[in-house]
Amino acid sequence: MIHLRRALLVAVIVFGAAAFGQDPNYGIQTHQLKNGMKILVQEDHSIPNVALYIFYRIGSRNERPGTTGLSHFFEHMMFNGARKYGPKQFDQVMEAAGGSNNAYTSNDVTAYQDWFPRSALETIFDLEGDRIQNLNFDERMIESERQVVASERRSSVDNSNLGILEEQLNAAAFTAHPYQWPVIGWMVDIEHWTMEDLQRHFQTGYSPANATMVVVGDVTLDEIVKLAQQYIEPIPSGGLPPKVTTQEPEQLGERRVIVRKFAQLPIVMMGYHVPESSNPDYYPLQVLKTVLLDGQSSRMYQRLIEKDQLAISVQSDYSFAFDPTLFTVTVRPKAGISPEIVEKAVNEELDRVRTATVTDRELQKAKNILLADFYRSMKTIDGKARALGNYEVFFGDYRKLFTVADSYDKVTKEDLQRVAKKYFTDNNRTVATLIPEQEEPK
Amino acid sequence: MTRRVLLLLCFCVFVVNTNSHSADSASVKLPPYTKVQLKNGLTVLLMEQHEVPIVSFNVIVKTGSVGDPIGKEGLASLTAELLRKGTRTRTSEQISSDLDFVGGEFAMNATTDYSSGSAEFLTKDLGQGMTLLADILLNPVFPEEELKKLIQQRIDGIKSAKDRAEGVIGRYFANYLYGKHPYARPVGGDERSLPAITRVDVQQFYESNYVPVNTILAVAGDFNVVEMRGLIEQQFNAWPARNPAAVRVESMPPVQGKRLLLVDKPDSTQTYFYIGNIGISRMNPDRVAIAVVNTIFGGRFTSRLNMALRIDSGLTYGARSLFDERKTAGPFLISTYTKNSSTEQAMDMALNVLSTLHEKGITQAELASTKEYMKGQFPPSIETSDELASTIARLEFYGLDESDINSYFAKIDAVTIDDTRRIIKEYFPLDNLVFVLIGKASEIQNIVKKYATVVDTKTITQAGF
Repeated sequence: MIHLRRALLVAVIVFGAAAFGQDPNYGIQTHQLKNGMKILVQEDHSIPNVALYIFYRIGSRNERPGTTGLSHFFEHMMFNGARKYGPKQFDQVMEAAGGSNNAYTSNDVTAYQDWFPRSALETIFDLEGDRIQNLNFDERMIESERQVVASERRSSVDNSNLGILEEQLNAAAFTAHPYQWPVIGWMVDIEHWTMEDLQRHFQTGYSPANATMVVVGDVTLDEIVKLAQQYIEPIPSGGLPPKVTTQEPEQLGERRVIVRKFAQLPIVMMGYHVPESSNPDYYPLQVLKTVLLDGQSSRMYQRLIEKDQLAISVQSDYSFAFDPTLFTVTVRPKAGISPEIVEKAVNEELDRVRTATVTDRELQKAKNILLADFYRSMKTIDGKARALGNYEVFFGDYRKLFTVADSYDKVTKEDLQRVAKKYFTDNNRTVATLIPEQEEPK
Repeated sequence: MTRRVLLLLCFCVFVVNTNSHSADSASVKLPPYTKVQLKNGLTVLLMEQHEVPIVSFNVIVKTGSVGDPIGKEGLASLTAELLRKGTRTRTSEQISSDLDFVGGEFAMNATTDYSSGSAEFLTKDLGQGMTLLADILLNPVFPEEELKKLIQQRIDGIKSAKDRAEGVIGRYFANYLYGKHPYARPVGGDERSLPAITRVDVQQFYESNYVPVNTILAVAGDFNVVEMRGLIEQQFNAWPARNPAAVRVESMPPVQGKRLLLVDKPDSTQTYFYIGNIGISRMNPDRVAIAVVNTIFGGRFTSRLNMALRIDSGLTYGARSLFDERKTAGPFLISTYTKNSSTEQAMDMALNVLSTLHEKGITQAELASTKEYMKGQFPPSIETSDELASTIARLEFYGLDESDINSYFAKIDAVTIDDTRRIIKEYFPLDNLVFVLIGKASEIQNIVKKYATVVDTKTITQAGF
């Protein structure tokens, strides 16, 4: 689609035509607080609202066996009381000002999100400053929140066959690196975190120097800087979390995991070790993933769903990551189709991209899809705030966002074949299969 | 892992303007749009939005699963999904490939009340995109093999969905709550109804319902109204005018008494439950006041339900309530889940929160907070051209206009404590309740009897809902 002036058009789509031309930063302004927190601001007055994100570079990869899931639990505790605003007040005060919030934890980061009308701006800074500086742990809240997280785990893992299988896939594919344990934590660890664990986590990861704030919406840089100086800058800077030095050793042979449980249909999940987001192979692998798995005209969809009719769904994942991660393909076979047959078909499709280049049209189509998805993800102030933060955190510089289109554009057919040969090897594969048990468990 | 599920999902029915450049949230208005009726009866709504070079389409065919013949549930939704599986001049694969090549999107499915599709293209691909969209809507051929494939996928998809209680409890609840009313019947069909559907059924459904006078086409985005009108006439004038099949549905009156369905899922470590009754229609004049009360009761993070079941007791990851507004009265429901051993405690607590609402009403402080919350959260729900297209299409479908949106803040502001007393009494059921639970029957069947005079049971592997 965007053949000519590709980067330019995307930049205009994403950041608005007005900002383009005058400013190499597309209207994005930055400010560094004295305590080390970096702030990114994009003024967008299309609606009278604001999206504010704070990213902390700490997640489950910074954990240890015995306290898995602590980052996520800590994220929940960030809503349970500080000095000025006690238990429950964070949400009550924010909602009364018209705002709402959420937060998420991944292997790599913990992110806090506030969405609010501009009239609530100062209240939000007051709330955020209070909890970043003066978080307070109430024993009763810890116990109650522990049960909330246990319930979350029961929903997202124990009562979700996909969740169970993915957890087992990661546990088998990684033997040394912390990506082996689930972000939500093993149930037994959820039951055993202590107040001391929480306090240590706070000291380790929640220094302003370890955080980036992103504000997009009906604001000006000046007012954000002024509020940040008042509410955030006085927070003392601490150290950064210890470096995660563990690297996953090369996988020397295929690994297989079987999960047997009550179910009506099996699931097959295959994972290949692939590099971190900042690696040059990241973009070729994303384009290859699109050729294979994105859209109804993709190769795997056409093969598994349309032509051979082996499966009811096929999907894949290769997300932002600080360290080498997994490229996964997940297939739900149709009733009566064995997981082996599905696995064979997936392997044959991977063989095809190893042994021959894709067509020019397939390559161009994949790039077009990726670009269209990219700007769709940034149609809203929320999407822009999230993207700016992700590029700053995972690619080291928010300005990498402006070159996404170029990065896709540079990918060649030969690149796709090269990365396919390099990563989609038998030895690099872990296969997890869910086998349905018909009888009732005890 | 996120802190909370998106409580705001129930909010998607509220829509407001945003793209006006007014920063005053008290005066948000829907941007102006033009309504045109083509000679063949097609209603066209056009809204220019030049912020980004994208054009969004939203199409509503005013017949949904309520038009499915008895025993052929899923027909409306199969028809909608099959549109892109082949036209007179394009195969299914060609359509997908053409769409994907321009990074375009097209999806169509059915709800109970209507069939709805959306499409989106870059302005520069508009001509190609519209040709494709018109071809899909006007010239589908419904190939036999595509129908068979889709039916098999649907049946297996239902089996797979039943492996996760959270994903299917709504279908069991609709079926149990609505009894003989058309809203009881599964929109996507079930293991028994789907195999009964033939190509002739699909063809007939299409011919009797996909007709211009029964269709709304809303377009929002980067175009000029006059030019777009010309393009639409060029593509859609050839659509022959026909009379649609008449489908009449009356609102279901609330269920009397207390009934409970327990669906056994023997591997469950958590019980999922809905409690509710018949709620309201989208056209209900009290809907904004009802939304205010429901936000306090179960519609936001600090709602009473979530406060009691999650924040104060840790019984669950989330508890909420919602009024699903439809053309005729949709369901009202309380929804949550908890570990098997605390099922009784959580159900008692949810019912207690409901009875406290009736006994004590709501406070002035809660009312003030909720008004701010609803207004503050409103603008982003219609920030983009696809949201705007969807919004104006639905207003048209319900026989409403922009005043519904433009008066939204004023209606919120006008709600008084006295109003909420009346709303609670009139719309929040207390003595007449329908319960649906999915869980491990061997561990919870003894406690459920106390909640209802009628108790029914099913197992999750049984066909249907």
